[in-house]
Amino acid sequence: MHHLSLIWTFFRIGILNELAYRINFYVQLLQSLLSLGTAIGGLAIVFSHTDSLGGWQAVDILALLGVFMFVGGIIRLVIQPSMAQLMEDVRQGTLDFTLTKPRDAQFLISISQVRIWRVIDIFLGIAVLLTALIYRGLDIGFTDVLLFVLVLFTGGAIIYSFWLMLATLTFWFLRIENILVIFQSMYEAGRWPIGIYPHWLRFVLTFLVPVAFAITVPAEALSGRLTTESIVISIVLSIFMLAFSRWFWKRGLKNYSGASA
Amino acid sequence: MATTPDITIQNLRKTYVVPERDTGLGAAIKSLIVRKTRDVEAVKDITFTVEPGEVVGFLGPNGAGKTTTLKMLSGLLHPTSGDISVLGYTPFNRNKEFLQQITLVMGQRNQLIWDIPVGDSFERNRAIYRLPTDEYNHTRDELVDLLDLAELLPKPVRNLSLGERMKCEVAAALLHRPQVLFLDEPTIGLDVTMQRRIRTFIGEYNKRYNATVLLTSHYMADVEALCKRVIIIHHGQLLFDGALTELVNRFSPHKTIVVDLDIEQADLSNYGDVITAEGNRITLRVPKSETATVTGRLLADLPVIDLTVADPPIEEVIEQVFST
Repeated sequence: MHHLSLIWTFFRIGILNELAYRINFYVQLLQSLLSLGTAIGGLAIVFSHTDSLGGWQAVDILALLGVFMFVGGIIRLVIQPSMAQLMEDVRQGTLDFTLTKPRDAQFLISISQVRIWRVIDIFLGIAVLLTALIYRGLDIGFTDVLLFVLVLFTGGAIIYSFWLMLATLTFWFLRIENILVIFQSMYEAGRWPIGIYPHWLRFVLTFLVPVAFAITVPAEALSGRLTTESIVISIVLSIFMLAFSRWFWKRGLKNYSGASA
Repeated sequence: MATTPDITIQNLRKTYVVPERDTGLGAAIKSLIVRKTRDVEAVKDITFTVEPGEVVGFLGPNGAGKTTTLKMLSGLLHPTSGDISVLGYTPFNRNKEFLQQITLVMGQRNQLIWDIPVGDSFERNRAIYRLPTDEYNHTRDELVDLLDLAELLPKPVRNLSLGERMKCEVAAALLHRPQVLFLDEPTIGLDVTMQRRIRTFIGEYNKRYNATVLLTSHYMADVEALCKRVIIIHHGQLLFDGALTELVNRFSPHKTIVVDLDIEQADLSNYGDVITAEGNRITLRVPKSETATVTGRLLADLPVIDLTVADPPIEEVIEQVFST
């Protein structure tokens, strides 16, 4: 309950913060529409040459694009800016203020920044997803939707944990922005089904940079491709990643305070 | 007096392990492979206690270990050895009840959010500290009143002057009405008026809530106005712990005598060290034990209009302490 009220407060501040620079709204809108336009253009070109890509129809890939935009929107709404802020706080020493607050520090740093206009990406993602589903004649059942939400959550948890671990590295190495840039470009690979990539890359995108679980798996749920195996792996991996990233974060904090030395 | 101290520190030590490398490109490349480290003892063996409601000045030159000690007290750093207890808690466990009762103000760093109105930053702290609305409103109004913040609340932080920002920082750090305040250079970089303002406020807060304050400052005026007791550390070790007046007695064997004479340019060098001689006002430094004799001689020998005996300025005394 208290966590929710705190999240709401941080969102409100995020809105206030962005209202200070109103132009950002239009810039973001333009940027989101442009990237949507290019993505759909790309899809159109690919599917003018072929009917299916790695077993996916055009409309399924459109749904995948919706998921890609939605998840990307959530990452850029809160996860990425908050983690960037963490690195900044460590460098400037302002993390000390967070650590002297009577709340869980991981929770505080994870929601510290909200770039509210990124919700445009989230809404556009939902719109694209719905368009794809309507195109297909809304042929999905209630279970599919439930499973979709489930694997979307586990995927989100996996991606969040992954980000947290990357950002936690900052306790040992002060400058790690470059790693984040690499992640960003890897994430871009998620706009296509993981199955179309060569083996080694598929491995990388599944386990090293867990884009597969965040995007491909949820999209599979919507097109009836989801295997029980994927569901189980998603759940187990998300629990493991949440626990492991928390342990890693605590480890980083210990290093920060000199408790590990 | 059977009160339990708010702060107890015993044989506290903190050693940092810092990477070390020679200057130059070659050394930089070498350090990628073999990391040489060196131990730096920031705090070595410090022991003291602070009673509830005390305001203690924590002094020392840069790098003496003040900030390190404050960080250990507020749970940010893990001591290498020794015991710390604040309000009965071990700070490093970062117990929620403990953190709810302390605050840390660092004059060089800000916790307010740059782009939003000050009042909204306050709201953020209200949410973080889970303050009930009436309690929060009450404390906020009180702080706004004491620090004269009413006009600043709707302004974004980036539009505030340094002094205004610091007033807001202090208020934000006290919204949860902490019992123990760790203030690290709260007046740094402020002009004299603003320094006095913050200083008076800290004194007022201490009286009103019987809060315990541990304060570091480079401005002796802060210390003189607020702290009856000072703790001085140097090279990580405790040099002095006691009343400010005792510090002057112990470390300054001299007194200053200022005389106004009816004659110009008198030579008083055989009465004591002449520090300044401006027209007919002369300042002398004499050994403390001879103060009475010298004063007597001056009054007997010369046409004295006015004469005052004073302790040397506290800055001078502190300098004396660090040079020993």
